[in-house]
Amino acid sequence: MSLTRFLPVPSDRMGIIWSLLSIKDAVVLEYGPAGTTHYSMSLYGDIGIEQENRLFTTHMREDDVIMGDTSRLENAIIEIDKNFEPKVIFIVASSCSAVIGTDLRGVCAMVAPKVEAKLIAFEQGGFRGDYSAGLKETYKLLAEKIIDGDGKRIEGTYNILGASIGSYRCRADVLEIKRMLKEVYGLECGACMCLDSSLEQIKNMGSAGLNIVLRPEAVETAKFLEKKYGTPYVYGTPYGYRGSMEWLQSIGMITGKKPSEDIMQELKKKTMAASQYKMYGRMLKRDKAEAYLYGDAETVTGLASFLNDMGINAVHMISMHNLSGLKEIPADIKYMPAEKERLEILKSLRANLVFADDTSKRFLDGSNTFVRITNPMIDGALVADHMPVAGIRGADMIMEYVSGYFNTIR
Amino acid sequence: MDGNELLGRLKKLSEIEDRSKDIHSLTYAQFPGTHCPLMGAAMAVRGIDGAVMMIIGTDECAYYTKHMTIYSEDWGGLTGRCVSVTIDQHDITFGCGKKVEDAYAELMEERKPEAVFLVTTCVPEIIGDDFDAIAEILTERYGIPVLAVHTEHFKCENHMPGVERTITAAFKLMEECAKDGSVNVLGQRMGRFESTELYRVLKSAGVRVGAQIPSGCSIDDIKQAASAKVNIVVNDIGLPLAKKMEQKFGIPYVFFDKFVDPQHISKAYESLFGFLGIPLPEGLSELKEKAEKSVCQGKEKLKGVSFIYGNTPFNVYEACAFMSSLGMKPQLIQCHGINDTDDESIKEILKSDDPYISQSANISPMQYIYDVLKPMLYLGHEYAMRLKMKKIAQVHTDMGGAMLGYEVTGYFVEQLVTATEEATAMREEGQVERRFGA
Repeated sequence: MSLTRFLPVPSDRMGIIWSLLSIKDAVVLEYGPAGTTHYSMSLYGDIGIEQENRLFTTHMREDDVIMGDTSRLENAIIEIDKNFEPKVIFIVASSCSAVIGTDLRGVCAMVAPKVEAKLIAFEQGGFRGDYSAGLKETYKLLAEKIIDGDGKRIEGTYNILGASIGSYRCRADVLEIKRMLKEVYGLECGACMCLDSSLEQIKNMGSAGLNIVLRPEAVETAKFLEKKYGTPYVYGTPYGYRGSMEWLQSIGMITGKKPSEDIMQELKKKTMAASQYKMYGRMLKRDKAEAYLYGDAETVTGLASFLNDMGINAVHMISMHNLSGLKEIPADIKYMPAEKERLEILKSLRANLVFADDTSKRFLDGSNTFVRITNPMIDGALVADHMPVAGIRGADMIMEYVSGYFNTIR
Repeated sequence: MDGNELLGRLKKLSEIEDRSKDIHSLTYAQFPGTHCPLMGAAMAVRGIDGAVMMIIGTDECAYYTKHMTIYSEDWGGLTGRCVSVTIDQHDITFGCGKKVEDAYAELMEERKPEAVFLVTTCVPEIIGDDFDAIAEILTERYGIPVLAVHTEHFKCENHMPGVERTITAAFKLMEECAKDGSVNVLGQRMGRFESTELYRVLKSAGVRVGAQIPSGCSIDDIKQAASAKVNIVVNDIGLPLAKKMEQKFGIPYVFFDKFVDPQHISKAYESLFGFLGIPLPEGLSELKEKAEKSVCQGKEKLKGVSFIYGNTPFNVYEACAFMSSLGMKPQLIQCHGINDTDDESIKEILKSDDPYISQSANISPMQYIYDVLKPMLYLGHEYAMRLKMKKIAQVHTDMGGAMLGYEVTGYFVEQLVTATEEATAMREEGQVERRFGA
């Protein structure tokens, strides 16, 4: 990979910061030059993250880089502890402090006796992979360092693991999942890691009866919680009607609860209706019903399966992030880091249903049908929290696009 | 947070001895912090038509810079002139020269830029890859000028050095050419020069405006910049380039900053037309009178009005000295540093006032300072509602970024007067509320 023409894939550090800032009362202190923090405001603002009194920078001068002086960091930690009294301060390395090898954990250990807040250090500086690696590390560290309740079960509750605000319509997806689980099984969400939950809620995650794992980066954390608290988990985000139905059934099997018959019947009907599109596909003379998918690997996998139910062949399934260590992702999903290769494919597409980001849209000819399923969102702003990609409502929305797509192909 | 305690960390203007170390931040933990020189470089390249900016840095540096450019017509939007080479762990260990060369080859396959600014960031500067050499190699290989710009933030306080280094790097593009009596404008970083009073005055005097670096020029304009008779430096970021041009091409320069004091503006005009060897245009005296009249009006309405200085498009200390001369009371000045060119203004301020001095771009703790200092006005960007809650009026001066000459005085005084009236009204409302409440 060499030339980057557009927005690069966000780094591990970016994934860490947006995840931590999605925890209601988290305070993040960056140890690095101030410009990166200031620069990041536009991205975090775009994805709906409040930053004031939650995100801080120490800044770093040449002396700090050359001499390895960390007093600025130590003073900043003590100051935040005194002024804001947070339960936890997350200290995140910058590319500079990571390159010079600042021992953030060592600094935290040294300062810890002087402060009330718990100090948790993230030493990644943006070089240990893309945002996927950052999410994995965040979930893991939160589980290890924050979750410490007694694990006493609260019946009828579950946690969500693997919500990432950096993902397109993440909040809408989480709300849809909560709605479905409430209506089908009467279950309540205890905590969502990491979206709109407090540190206290995350701390008590061991009490839930079930963990719902939305993306592969959180599987290791789910296993950790299973081992520590005996909490079973269900992996996967519900995409499409059949996908949603099977996902709900798997939750019913684990919890021993009976689903709402009305909703399951409705899902069966919708699954049948969706499969009718296979017939349209068989009637095509000129075109083939084919799809290109680019985005989070979990989303690509789930939507490709839904499209397959409707007779649309997902010819290109490309993950936006690196897949190493993500065993849950099928082998036919590819990671293609070079922009040039993706561009060549995009430019060659004809009469395809394209699920991707706004950048990809720029390179499609008019014969294709475009559906945004991943960030970066360039055209317009995200407002609605009631329009998910996942779940039953998400499937309804996708169906509308599919219907429109079949009108364009012959 | 205790505002008095925060102020206790700061030095007053008269106590500043070491200008690099005595200006403290209100807190160790800052928000949002200053902009970085990479952004400054992007601001500069944006205005240079035909130039491509190639960032060498982390995904994050590249992401935020590209994000800033994608809605800009000047940049050409998403597919525009800002590209990057993102570095990873391997590059940190083994260097990123080869990767940059490969990326550059891809760029050359797809585009034909007239010049490329190779902009480094913190990490490549720490690992010490020699980008000046890489720029030279690429220039030779493809026959297109490649200019290295170094923008590590840990060596400077804000984004301005990024603008300065980018336009200074453009010096390499300049060629010897015959003088044509024109003027260049160096350091115009906001707005178009054509919208300024100075431009109109030059036009009325028949003086041609040549290169406007960086805001609104082409690579050809830069190449021909040495044909000018005088360089007008409209911000101190243009000074290093002006000095280089003076040394190599013998072009004198006039420092014509975004002054607000009519006396300074008058001197700048005199100096400029002196170098041009033509008389001052007739209309100037009328403009000066108008500016002086607004100063007189300002003195009547602004005496005793206290303020905190955040940021404006104007020169920090010249603007504060001007406000002091109007009888206003500076309580705290936020700045990135103090330059030698600020000495005269600082003396003026100290004649009547001795404000606190702090590093800028740290607005979080400011609300605690408001409770202690209780200023009437805040100059610069802040959360408007927060200021209103404290009965402080915000002075909006962004439009001044596109002005030069006496027009700045009238505009600035008008904004100060408007904000003062607003602050007075808010405080009177407060008194009424308190009365009824009691």
